[in-house]
Amino acid sequence: MDSECLSLLPSVCEVLADSKLLPPDDTSLEKLLDWFKDLTSQDDGQSLLQHQPCLLQFLYSVMESEVVDPIIFSFSLKLAGLLAAEESGFCLLQEKGVLVSMFVPDGWHVLGLWKNASVRCGWLQGLWNMLQHPPAMDFFCRNGIITLVLNLQNDESLFITSLTNQILAHILNCSMPRVLGNDTDSTAEGQALVSSDWVSVTTEIMSHMSRSLASEDQAVILPGLRLLAIVLTQCGDPLKRLLWKHVLEPLEVLAIRKGDSLTPPMMAVLQAAARTPLYIQPECRVEALMNVMLYSRNTNESVLCAASILLLEKCVSIRLIGSAVISLLRICIGHYPSTILQVGNFPHLIGCCKIQRCGLDVLGSLTVYEESMDLIQEAFAIILQYMQSPDSHATVLKKAHQAALKWFSICSPSTDLWRFVSNDLFSVLKKHVCDGRWEVRDSTLEFIAQLTSALKGNSEYTEALHTNGMISVLFTALSDVEAYVQASAVAALGEALTTTNLPLCTSLQEEIVSHLLTVLAQDAESFPRRAALKVFTSWLKIPQTFAALDQSLSSVFSLGGNDCDWEVKIHTLELADVLMEKSLSHCPYAVQGYEPSERCTEQALNKLMDLGTLGLLFKCLFDCDRPVSQKACALLLKLRAFMKQTSHTDGNDLALEICRYNWGEEILHRYCSKRPEQSDCVSNDDEVSYEQIDIVKCDPCWPKEISLCKILDVLDLDEMQHTLSLSSDHVINSPRSLMEDILFVAHQSEDNVVDCY
Amino acid sequence: MKLYCLSGHPTLPCNVLKFKSTTIMLDCGLDTTSALYYLPLPLVHSPRLSKLPGWVSKDGTVNLEKELKECAGRVFVDSQPEFCLPERELLDLSTVDVILISNYHCMMALPYITEHTGFSGTVYATEPTFQIGRLLMEELVTFMERVPKAQSATCWKTKEIQRRMLPGPLKDAVDVWSWRTCYSMQEVNSALSRVQLVGYWQKVELFGAVQVTPLSSGYSLGSSNWIIQSHFEKVSYVSGSSLLTTHPQPMDQSSLKNSDVLILTGLTQIPTANPDGMLGEFCSNLAMTIRAGGNVLVPCYSSGVIYDLLECLYQFMDSANLGTTPFYFISPVANSSLEFSQIFAEWLCQNKQSKVYLPEPPFPHAELIQTNRLKHYTSIHGEFSSEFRQPCVVFTGHPSLRFGDVVHFLELWGKSSLNTIIFTEPDFSYLDALAPYQPLAMKCVYCPIDTRLNFHQVAKLLKEVQPLHVVCPEQYTQPPPAQSHRSDLMLELQPPPVAYRRCSVLGLPFRRRHERIQLLPELAKALVPSEIKPGISVATVSAVLQSKDNKHVLQVRPSSPYPSKKRKRLLEEVPELLTPKPLLSGAIPLDAFLASLHKSGVTEVKVEETAGGHILHLQAEDALIQLEEDATHIVCDTNEPLRATLRDLVLRFLHKL
Repeated sequence: MDSECLSLLPSVCEVLADSKLLPPDDTSLEKLLDWFKDLTSQDDGQSLLQHQPCLLQFLYSVMESEVVDPIIFSFSLKLAGLLAAEESGFCLLQEKGVLVSMFVPDGWHVLGLWKNASVRCGWLQGLWNMLQHPPAMDFFCRNGIITLVLNLQNDESLFITSLTNQILAHILNCSMPRVLGNDTDSTAEGQALVSSDWVSVTTEIMSHMSRSLASEDQAVILPGLRLLAIVLTQCGDPLKRLLWKHVLEPLEVLAIRKGDSLTPPMMAVLQAAARTPLYIQPECRVEALMNVMLYSRNTNESVLCAASILLLEKCVSIRLIGSAVISLLRICIGHYPSTILQVGNFPHLIGCCKIQRCGLDVLGSLTVYEESMDLIQEAFAIILQYMQSPDSHATVLKKAHQAALKWFSICSPSTDLWRFVSNDLFSVLKKHVCDGRWEVRDSTLEFIAQLTSALKGNSEYTEALHTNGMISVLFTALSDVEAYVQASAVAALGEALTTTNLPLCTSLQEEIVSHLLTVLAQDAESFPRRAALKVFTSWLKIPQTFAALDQSLSSVFSLGGNDCDWEVKIHTLELADVLMEKSLSHCPYAVQGYEPSERCTEQALNKLMDLGTLGLLFKCLFDCDRPVSQKACALLLKLRAFMKQTSHTDGNDLALEICRYNWGEEILHRYCSKRPEQSDCVSNDDEVSYEQIDIVKCDPCWPKEISLCKILDVLDLDEMQHTLSLSSDHVINSPRSLMEDILFVAHQSEDNVVDCY
Repeated sequence: MKLYCLSGHPTLPCNVLKFKSTTIMLDCGLDTTSALYYLPLPLVHSPRLSKLPGWVSKDGTVNLEKELKECAGRVFVDSQPEFCLPERELLDLSTVDVILISNYHCMMALPYITEHTGFSGTVYATEPTFQIGRLLMEELVTFMERVPKAQSATCWKTKEIQRRMLPGPLKDAVDVWSWRTCYSMQEVNSALSRVQLVGYWQKVELFGAVQVTPLSSGYSLGSSNWIIQSHFEKVSYVSGSSLLTTHPQPMDQSSLKNSDVLILTGLTQIPTANPDGMLGEFCSNLAMTIRAGGNVLVPCYSSGVIYDLLECLYQFMDSANLGTTPFYFISPVANSSLEFSQIFAEWLCQNKQSKVYLPEPPFPHAELIQTNRLKHYTSIHGEFSSEFRQPCVVFTGHPSLRFGDVVHFLELWGKSSLNTIIFTEPDFSYLDALAPYQPLAMKCVYCPIDTRLNFHQVAKLLKEVQPLHVVCPEQYTQPPPAQSHRSDLMLELQPPPVAYRRCSVLGLPFRRRHERIQLLPELAKALVPSEIKPGISVATVSAVLQSKDNKHVLQVRPSSPYPSKKRKRLLEEVPELLTPKPLLSGAIPLDAFLASLHKSGVTEVKVEETAGGHILHLQAEDALIQLEEDATHIVCDTNEPLRATLRDLVLRFLHKL
């Protein structure tokens, strides 16, 4: 693929360099750069430049052109940076004088190009691409580029300022070890000489930072603080210490400065500092600064400060946070805890959905801490209050469900808990299943399913579920008017019957299975059908037999395989997968210690055949939806592997009556193409036409049946699997098509444009 | 201006406003919660209720076996239920000129006010208020007359017995002596014959003194707030109002602006329950019961929230797959109520009004009736008993559960836990209502739906309309007793609202300062205005002020100096006509005045500055001129000619009118 693309490269370069043509759009150029990035990562820039002289040509022409488009110029800067990212590429470009004329800002930016933000951005990007090795750093330091970079820190474009900060942090990070190393032990003279430039650059950056922080102008302080935060998170410890010495003084001034919007960036800096060893060094005064920030601001800003301090782990006890959250949640539904009465009233909090949702989220996430076990009763009580409140918004209920699930996951079963579940929880859930809002019904059913699944195997829970009339509530929900709700009801019911250890009466089983079959056959929307299949699959997975299901499997396969929804088909194939797994792997264990007997395999295959599983696989293999055929192909490969492993004989035993199925034609077609020597009726051409197959079908001498092994052989499953694994847009997304597009647009004459319309 | 408060019930108000020589009664609500102390009136003979033991005090000294019965651990009065009337002793009801009705729930005491009291005024109400009010009264009378009780219990009311001997809650009942049994249909008709219908924004003149105007209040069909205003004063009366979008026309808030006094009553009785949430709760409990094979009983008034409930259920039942469940609406006025709601299109919200032009019935219960899903009956007797099928939903009254068809359904369904009773009316405590039916197996759900303003909405409203003073029942000035910490459930205003309770007489905190007087054209023509300040001219007028029918007119004074003998007496009453003295105005500029004094030969002047102006000492003449902002004094005891000269000098600097 790359070689094809490389052959297109010269003409693309030509198009890009042609200032008379409109430049391609930004996205194309970005994609092109991505491709170059891939290329340079496989191969260094030097060899690319050597093999593709057109690139150098392109860079030259851009440099020399007086009318170059800013977009193209920006692109070429980025490209040059990429090509110089490896030392060899860098040296080559340096030799040819490209780098100096592109990156040393004496010549070109007077052209007015510098005014264009995309050019400044491209220049920075190019620099960043390039500054990956010492020679590039030398180049950077020696040519005084730093002044310009520092200027860009206060650029009007946010993209540029943020990029600048990244580069400055990168430079400090690269140069510091060497600069610091230089200080401590004497190195070779040549290197010391090199480093003197580096030293001056780093000093310049640091003094620039402290200067910015000491400025009166907020627009100057802000990028300074941002840079500081980045450096503190990205750079090594010695650098942090050195830097902190530089900036501590202006920071202390800034901390007491009130009434400006510097609080968030200041807190970002302090937070970054608090995560470093600086925090524990008293002379660094990080904690003192936080203190000053917390108490010198107005309410809103102190809250911001407090929030960022809280984000530092382990600084406040979980119990304290938990109690605060529970109190807040109580206030939000109008229950004032007496303990905070004196703080004042919060009428605006009552009924505030946003706070309720966030509060419940926090309550749920507290469960990751061991300490929160103490809060378990209060947590369940408040969650229940939210569920019982008629004013709870559907989204709040959803959050309450999520929180409840998390608390259930950590609590240990107790009589109190089961009393809570069967008395309080189930009664409110029953009411929610009848709620007027479908969202509430849906999330309640989902919750029941998740809860049942989470408490799988817990006999008290299962008993509560089955004795409280919940099953009949779920049954009723199956006929909900909303498809989503129906689907959730199917899932919940499925889960409820999967987990049960109670011997289910067969009539109930039959009733459910027949209801799900009706859903599968008659439902107009796909969600309930998908859910029904998932339920069948989960039932098939459990070790106990589900007699009612076994009897209906063939109907399930036929309904699912003929469904118009591809997801339903996928789920049907998953069911087939489980069935195959179960019936084929069942054999070895039947006679332990022996190789799976042929007879047993044969029986299993026959069963699969009878249930329509094999037919389903072949039919789906030729499905028009790629994921379906991919899945079917994977299953057939699995089957093939199994048969290869187990059958010692030729495996001709199981034969399929190929003509009975509509997918048979496709297989015959392939069969004939593969086996021309066997057929007299077929011409020697490689391709067999379908008319010929018709003749074949009528020919009595042609076998009506083909063995399964042969079919699996004939179908080139591996090749199919490969083709199917490529996504459908792989051609469109290739660099080649990108280049073709660029060329096409460039060469599009006016006539073509007219034609298009 | 005074306000007499005849009812302490915040949502069933009865206040009398005395304003500019008119006496206006604002609403006359009837508090029927007193019925809760009485035994239910069963429609069908109830063995349980007829065999209740009578009450005898523990020591056996008081025996009220005939009047009081013990039922489910409580003592009830076995008699025709009685209602708590507005106070009738506080002021002479015959002096009331008009009664303004704000909604049909607030007029139920009307016959007690207009009949047998000497009342001879007019009652103003909108048409739906009048018609539905009539239905509700008719229903109440039917409920009572259908189950007559010979006995009228009075012995238990004796103060010594009631307060000292009776068990709670009967002993805590207040004003029991003012309770009365229900009025008769004849009294209802007579009371309603005094009603004059008005439309929203229609201005009604009362004796030329004040103008009253009903405004849409958004609470129920035809419900209104009232504006009572003179030329310079405006009193707003806000009764049951709602800002929610239900069936009635939305509330007119802007007309309430610039009120001197705003009387605020009829806020929601359940401030913690949000009507939307309650409606949802209602539907899900109903669905849960029906699905489990039970029946649902909804005790309700025959007009109002029931329209919204039916509309909500109309949509909900299909989506809940309960499309075939029948609804029964049983009330002596069920049919009229359902039909009336459909014909008052102009009183409905925009959405419903526009349906009429399609033409479609504005309320979907028409369709429920058409498809036989909603059936209405006058009572449980007759057709209903043969057509009735279960499970079903029954809407019926009375919400107090003491009379009406609901009593029968409680006896019928109370024993099964499959059935549910859902309370939607906020007027009665459901626990008290259910007390005589205990023990009850039936599930009970409390979903009070009160769409009237809540404290949050009212705070916003008041911020918007900015009345100078707010008058409200005392209940609104403190949090509800059960939620003493919820300071958001009370009115907090600056200045604080003026609170009233039953029998309060409030002097409303504002004084009338101006009155409009008309000037006849002849008189106006004769005026000679002179400008005293830029844009302000004054003129003196001398005329005769005639006040008649609260209108004041300035007329030209009669010129005939020679009256005939016949008119002599009349003329004598005309006050003596004097030519008015000219009025002076303006300020005296000190420097110019000194200069003119100098010119007149007064040379030795000593000027002393005082707090209010200057004192000029004319030393040679031994005189003083005191110049102040609003007065000038010349002290010159001996020399009269000099005084006159000085006076003329002063006058030269002043304007004369």
